[in-house]
Amino acid sequence: MSPLPPHPGSKPQVSGLNCPKCGGSITLRALGQASSVVCPGCGSILDAKSPTLNIIQTFQRIVSSDPPLIPLSTRGKVRGTDYEVIGFERRTITAEMVDYHWHEYVLFNPYKGFRYLAEYQGHWNDISICKELPVAVSGLSTTARMNYLGEIYRHFQSANAKTDFVLGEFPWQVRMGEQANVTDYVHPPRVLSQEQTAGEETWSVGEYLSGRDVWKAFNLPGNAPAAAGVYENEPSPFGGNLKTVWKRFAALACGLLAMMIGFNIFAMNSSVFQRTYQFSGGDPRAEASFVTNTFALGGRASNVEVKTSSQLQNNWIYLNYALINEETGEAWDFAREISFYSGYDSDGSWTEGSHEATVVVPSVPAGQYYLRIEPEADAGHSPINYTVEVRRDVPVSSFYGIGFLALLAPAILLTWRSVSFEKSRWSESDHPIFPRLTEGD
Amino acid sequence: MFRQIYILYGLLVLGTVGYAQYRGWSLDSMDQVKNVPRSVRDNPGSYRSVYSGYHHYTGGK
Repeated sequence: MSPLPPHPGSKPQVSGLNCPKCGGSITLRALGQASSVVCPGCGSILDAKSPTLNIIQTFQRIVSSDPPLIPLSTRGKVRGTDYEVIGFERRTITAEMVDYHWHEYVLFNPYKGFRYLAEYQGHWNDISICKELPVAVSGLSTTARMNYLGEIYRHFQSANAKTDFVLGEFPWQVRMGEQANVTDYVHPPRVLSQEQTAGEETWSVGEYLSGRDVWKAFNLPGNAPAAAGVYENEPSPFGGNLKTVWKRFAALACGLLAMMIGFNIFAMNSSVFQRTYQFSGGDPRAEASFVTNTFALGGRASNVEVKTSSQLQNNWIYLNYALINEETGEAWDFAREISFYSGYDSDGSWTEGSHEATVVVPSVPAGQYYLRIEPEADAGHSPINYTVEVRRDVPVSSFYGIGFLALLAPAILLTWRSVSFEKSRWSESDHPIFPRLTEGD
Repeated sequence: MFRQIYILYGLLVLGTVGYAQYRGWSLDSMDQVKNVPRSVRDNPGSYRSVYSGYHHYTGGK
């Protein structure tokens, strides 16, 4: 597939001829540059270089079940240049007894020459012949790689492609049933294709286009068919973001860490009250509740930590608390239990529970406060000693944990979606990321 | 686009964490009561806690 070089300054030439087989009229749009043309009447492939249009190949007219999505002679603008669709072919590869078809459109501009559009299940590529020969990259990689214009392309798939439908003009002598070994290397959004026939090797490079772009370029009616699945060189909507997002996650996590260190250094974290009490197992009908001395909470409205600790063993104590502002009567009600059990069984020694419990009261304004404490325990329990400590403006580490997870979640989600996208892409290649299960697996 | 949204989102997370820490927010559950009478100080038994959010566990293996 070697297009002739364009002839700068030459005028576009269109010629009307007749098919030597059926007599039907043929219009040659790329006169002098097309090598073959297909008679629209009988489907014979004719030599466009020959003045009498010698017949190259004849066959029974095939009525294609999938006509070109872009009709021949449609004009459009590709990368700023006007092109006309002059040829169309359908090619097929067979893998695991399944035929996969794609379509190629020959575009022609009398001053710029030929370029091609390829379409597979709604995915499009703008293809041109390589300007220089790609170079194989040697390395430890298990898949072959090619270097083209400084970009490394990774081997995707090799297959034998057969041409099974042709229409219009071609810059090479097209043949129905012609076979070529096609090897694709990808570097999304580009694909490097090598085509080998008995006597020829051609390299072309394609760039992914969306159907919407093609429809817009050729001003086609309606909407482009929706793309199915992930195509070999389809740019990942996540890939470009991935590295940046992880870098930003690292920067934000560092910011979070710095914030935690800063608050740990500058938080008041001062003990404003501490006292040890005993809950005796006296008369269970006696009123257990009591109040503490008042203590001052200074500074701005910030949190207050109430920490209860007790060295009880195989026992529990439940404490109802109310932190009450002596002046305003505003109160915060909460409760904590301390229970600690230990023992020994067939699994060895075990412990359960804790010797302390902490609660953080939110946004408490400055003022004079006291605690009302109402302890509960098993009836007839032995005396339980417990200590209550109140601290003002303490760092809350769980905020940073939640913040870290909140930063991490989108990065993980993006990575997962990116991996899923790449998995879909490579599942159709010769190198699936997760090999497909075959019968017997 | 996602990158810009992510950095804005990340800054929002940092701002929220910083604000929560500065304002003294808490993840613990509790009830807030207004106008507790001053008499509670002299008669603690007259106050009845409205709090019921903490699981009262009496465990042991």
